[in-house]
Amino acid sequence: MSATLTSGASTIPGPGRDHALGARLARRRRMADRLVVVLCIGATAIGLLLLASILFTLLVRGLGGLSLGVLYKNTAPAGSNGGLANAIVGSLLQTVVGTAIGTPIGLMVGTYLAEYSRGSALGNAVRFVSDVLLSAPSILIGLFIYTLLVLPVGGYSGIAGCIALAVIVIPIVVRTTEDMLRLVPVSLREAAIALGAPKWKSIVLVCYPAARDGIVTGLLLAIARIAGETAPLLFTSLGNLNATVDFKHPATIITAFGQAMSSLPVTIYQYAGSAYQDLVDLSWVAALLITFGVLALNIVARVALRRRS
Amino acid sequence: MDMSMTENATAGSRSNAPATAATTEAPRIAISGLDFYYGTNKALKSVSVEFPDRKVTGMIGPSGCGKSTLLRVLNRMYDLYPGQRAEGKVMMDGDNIIDPGMDLNVLRSRVGMVFQKPTPFPMSIYDNIAFGVKLHERLSKAQMNERVEWSLTRAALWPEVKDRLSASAAGLSGGQQQRLCIARTIATRPEVILLDEPTSALDPISTLRVEELIDELKRDFTIVIVTHNMQQAARCADQVAFFYLGELVEVAPAAQMFTAPKQKRTQEYITGRFG
Repeated sequence: MSATLTSGASTIPGPGRDHALGARLARRRRMADRLVVVLCIGATAIGLLLLASILFTLLVRGLGGLSLGVLYKNTAPAGSNGGLANAIVGSLLQTVVGTAIGTPIGLMVGTYLAEYSRGSALGNAVRFVSDVLLSAPSILIGLFIYTLLVLPVGGYSGIAGCIALAVIVIPIVVRTTEDMLRLVPVSLREAAIALGAPKWKSIVLVCYPAARDGIVTGLLLAIARIAGETAPLLFTSLGNLNATVDFKHPATIITAFGQAMSSLPVTIYQYAGSAYQDLVDLSWVAALLITFGVLALNIVARVALRRRS
Repeated sequence: MDMSMTENATAGSRSNAPATAATTEAPRIAISGLDFYYGTNKALKSVSVEFPDRKVTGMIGPSGCGKSTLLRVLNRMYDLYPGQRAEGKVMMDGDNIIDPGMDLNVLRSRVGMVFQKPTPFPMSIYDNIAFGVKLHERLSKAQMNERVEWSLTRAALWPEVKDRLSASAAGLSGGQQQRLCIARTIATRPEVILLDEPTSALDPISTLRVEELIDELKRDFTIVIVTHNMQQAARCADQVAFFYLGELVEVAPAAQMFTAPKQKRTQEYITGRFG
């Protein structure tokens, strides 16, 4: 078969088939293939090694200081056996409220960009501004909220911290929502429209569920990002060595947002450079708590998503 | 001219139709002088054709001849895309479908559509059916259950899914998904069902089931089917329309179309000489 193709076929242009050359080329391809595989594995190893080293150090340094007391005792001066309770509560409150403020706005902007703007000048402008915001240094966002909400009021507040975090959440959610909605096939939208669904219903009832996994992933990335943000909080909620929330009086959960509020990242920032070893140890515990808190959230969300679909 | 009476519109369109099938019943939809544009590109040229009530009309022709375009006029799907527009008369019950004042959501509840690729929504089998019904009706839970069972039964899918109605529709096979899409469409009780190459993504056995289904459904619905498969048109359709380069070349009862077409181009196409 091949003989007739190579020798007999005078109609094929070019020189006759050189089997030695073919073998040489194949050998070169195999070598290049092996080289690239080795490089890829090497790059992966470097990435994983760095990650493993960070997690390992966190575990070694953090687990030592971790105790039940850390979770229920408030921060205290060095040497007085303080904990992180107020920072944990503050971080949870600011992350939850910041996400709650930023997510609906980001979701709606992303929906506008993907479904309604279609090449309009306004849509392009919004997309550009959102992308700029996405890469803006977070300290600038802190300063912006400081000028907007702290200076006029004359005091730092938890709510200012929440809004600064929300400003960070918005562009992340905008981008993932737009990208994920654009991935929903046209045929699916047309099928919903063909049943007589108005556009908004086809978006809410068909496109959102179809894009759900991607949107939730983006949201998790946003939460992970703001859970560890320090710079925007330095100028807004500042940090607070005293507990402002007393769970025996639920109203204090609300009033706490009017005062400076503690948080884990800011506590790390304040304690890590401390001269007192007990405070340095606590900052390691705080870092461990944030990292594994975000990790746990990711795992829970992923398991929940998989179970639902 | 007279928009208020179906009979008049019908009579008008019949006189200038090129070769209308000899149907005695009043047509469900009567198209006359329909032009369609994608931007400046004219995709349909003065098409006039009638779709008889509770009959299957097959539309055949080479790719890009305008048959899918015509289908997308009938439920105004082209409205989603700026730059696409239609001119002419598409009369259904005395209303011109392409009139800008037409309520599109109501129109689409009366003219359902099934697409080339199965498009199950990312929800349960039950909710896939209920989705369309909820858009146009307020049913009690019991009534909805009844409607879901009815439509799945009509689409010959009920025995296969009755024990897993709450399972995701994405888990069904391609053929089952397409029958689910048909069930979803008939659940809203349309008058007309548009089928855009509904079996081109299906295996032969699923194709056969869908064809049997079409035959069964025409007792209640007027069906317009676009197909590339000449045998399918011969098997399913009562009336066949042949399109070429945006023109309706010939429309005739299926038996006549495939044995004694009047136009030379039709004969060449169905005997496989081009297209």
